[in-house]
Order: sequence, then structure tokens, then C-alpha cells
Amino acid sequence: MSDQSPGSPGPTLLDVEGVSRRFGYHTVLHDVTLRISSGDVVVLLGPNGAGKSTLLRVLAGLLRPHGGRIRREGTLGLVGHRPMLYGALTARENLQFFSRLQGINGGRADALLDAVGLVGAGDSRVRTFSQGMIKRLAIARALLNDPDLLLLDEPFSGLDDHGVDVLRGVIEQRRDTGTGVVVVTHVFGHVASLHPRTGILVGGALHGPDPGENADAVRARYRDLVLHE
Amino acid sequence: MSDLVSAALTIAAKDIRIEWRTRTAVISALVFAILVLSILYVARDATAVPALALAPSALWVTFSFAAMIGLNRAFLTENELGAMDAIRLSGVSPSALFLGKFGSNLAFVGAVEGFGIPIFVLFYDVPIGVHLPALLLVTVMTTVAFVSVGTLLSAMVVQTRFAEVMLPVLLLPFLIPPVVAAVHLTAVLLGGRPLSAGLGWLKLLAAFDVAFVTLSTLLFEATLSE
Repeated sequence: MSDQSPGSPGPTLLDVEGVSRRFGYHTVLHDVTLRISSGDVVVLLGPNGAGKSTLLRVLAGLLRPHGGRIRREGTLGLVGHRPMLYGALTARENLQFFSRLQGINGGRADALLDAVGLVGAGDSRVRTFSQGMIKRLAIARALLNDPDLLLLDEPFSGLDDHGVDVLRGVIEQRRDTGTGVVVVTHVFGHVASLHPRTGILVGGALHGPDPGENADAVRARYRDLVLHE
Repeated sequence: MSDLVSAALTIAAKDIRIEWRTRTAVISALVFAILVLSILYVARDATAVPALALAPSALWVTFSFAAMIGLNRAFLTENELGAMDAIRLSGVSPSALFLGKFGSNLAFVGAVEGFGIPIFVLFYDVPIGVHLPALLLVTVMTTVAFVSVGTLLSAMVVQTRFAEVMLPVLLLPFLIPPVVAAVHLTAVLLGGRPLSAGLGWLKLLAAFDVAFVTLSTLLFEATLSE
């Protein structure tokens, strides 16, 4: 965490250079380069099948890149496409289980249930939860280790308006305490108020991320890139 | 070392808690075991095949297939909502994950065998009496062998489309040596002879235990990669 990049808000947490990834003969990511620093919020937009979820899995270390280099510093939290929980356990038991695996004090589970608005449902089995509640619990699970880098794949999907506000608040609070955040989303409006850097992934190639664009500029750039693919 | 044991115990305790709640694997395997033991007993020609001659094979065929029902479910709880990714991200070593899963599978299969042996004794009217501790030793050693390989193979096939078909196809060839040894040792014991009369088979079973547990622990990491 000592690598200070010029013009960035803090130490570099993630340095990705020329990363590619194939599935069989199909190349899903081409030459992706990206740097995330402490306190950065980077949004990745892109049409379906552009490689966004694959990129997050590669960044998290769950998939091996077939080319390029990734250097990651600090702890990591991931909210993936799937919630990464146990349906037969309660919300609290899930958080306590993953806490124990990481050697984290189990008391943090209750604080996180409170932070994502699930205290009342803490003793209910996850299998009985709505999609939105599962998403909130997945976010709490990703925050257990107080991550330096938080990777969020479609975190707003399935959330009601209150849930969107809660999550945006969580991202804002994490950013302010120095966490680097990468958000994959289809709805830029959910994160526009965070003034993120925005990258657009088209056909596995990452364009950007460009700093500080407003929503209209992002939409215009997205249309240009996707329509001219 | 203590981290490895602690993580393995945490994983095993979680599995046992989930199984205690649902009781799916143990009850399915136990019902299956009772059915197979009773079918094999009833279907034999009592005038040609004495129950005692059939008993060792019946016991181990039943336990092997009943164990497969439990092993097929070993990683389904991780697969349901993608929890395996969170385990991998938590930094737990593959060996700890294997040992945790191995421990919980041993508990499930052991529970089925614990209920199955009295039913076996009841059906086949076998004189196990003083040889019960030796029979339990053979049971534990055989179970360790096939649960270790079964846990490894279950992790390999869980992501495939035909996992429930693939596991028996892959596991059965590995079961042959320990099950053959177990059948011979059980026949020795039910014949009223001491375990030392089957010392060669016992050594073979011990060798399979050491080889299977060691190789499965070492190879488990490869099953977790993409």
C-alpha cells in the first residue's frame, strides 16, 4: 500500500496491466489496464456479455488471467453475481461462519446486519429471504474483513429504493475511509452522486476509466462506444 | 497448524449444523441402506445361500452405495448460492477445506453405518459378539478410504452438469480395493476367527487409508481452480 501514483487520491490498491482472459477459444477480456487507489470509486458500465463480471472475478483472484499482470494490496471484499452464502443458515450464522474462517471477531456480524438493515431478520434462514435481502446480506458478508478494496457486481439489482440508498451510503462511507471501490452496474444514476471515474467495457476492451464525468457525458460516451462496436 | 485445524473444524461444524437442520443426506442414505439390506436378504435363495455367506458382501455393497448418496451432496450446499467463492476469498487453505469436508462426510457416513450395523445384525442374524470392536475398526478404516476419495471427487464433479451420475462412475473404481479388503475382513470376523487371521487385508486397508487421505489432501487444491 505504499505505491503512491501521481494525481491519485491515495496509495495504489489494485494495479492491472494488459490483462486478458479467454474461455476456450473465446477471448472475453482484451488488454485491460486499470489502476484503483485508496478512496477511488470506479464504475464499470457495459452491455450484457461485455466481460464485466469476468473482469471482477479476475480482479478478485477467482479466475486466472491468461495474459497481463495484476498486483493487489490489502484486503478484499467481493459482492459477486451470486450471493456466496448458505441458504440453510440464518443471516447471522452466515456472517459468523465467514468471520470465523477469517479470524474476525464474531461481534462484527451484528454491526454489519445493522448497517444493511437486516437486524430484525438476523435469525431467519437465508433461503426465506427476498432477492433484495440476500443482496444486502451479501454486502454485509463482503464488508466483514473491513476491506481495503471492495468489488461490487451489480450490487443494486434486486434492491428497493431504500436498499439503494443504504448501499450508496455504505459505498460513500467506505470511500471516505479510504477503501477503493469498483462497481459494475447498468444504472449509472445509482452512483452518479459519488462522482466516480467511469470505465466502459465493450467486447472485452475497457475504455477509460475517465474521471468526473456527469451522467449525460457518461451516457453519450456509452452510446458512442456501444453503437460503434 | 492451529489455523488449519480451526478452519477445518469450522467448516465441518457448519456442514453438520446444516445437515442436522435438513437431515436430507443422512435420512436418504439410511433409508437406502435399510432397503438394500432387506432386498438382498429377501431375494437370496435361502436353501442355496446361507445368510452368513451373503452378509459381508451385502454389508459393504450397501454401505458403499449409501455413502455415495451422502457424498453426492457434499458440495451442493456450497453450490446453491455460490458460497465456495466466499470460502476461497476468505484465505482458507485448500487442505483445511478438504479436511473440514472430509470430517463432516465421515460424520454423515458414520451415522448411517451406526444405524446400519444393528439393522444388518438383526436381518442377517450374524454372530458378531466379541468381534464387534474389530468389525468397528474395519468399518472405520474402510469408511476413511472411500470418504477421502469421495470428498475429492465430489468437489471435482459438483460443477459439472451430470454430477450425480459422474460421482458413482468415478468413485466406484477407487472403492474396489478397500471394499474387497473390507469384505474379506468381515468374513473372517463373522466366521468367528480373530482379526489377525486377515492381517494381510488389514495392512492393505491401512495402506489405502494413508495413500487415499494423503493424495486427496494434496490434490484437492486442483479441484478448486477454474
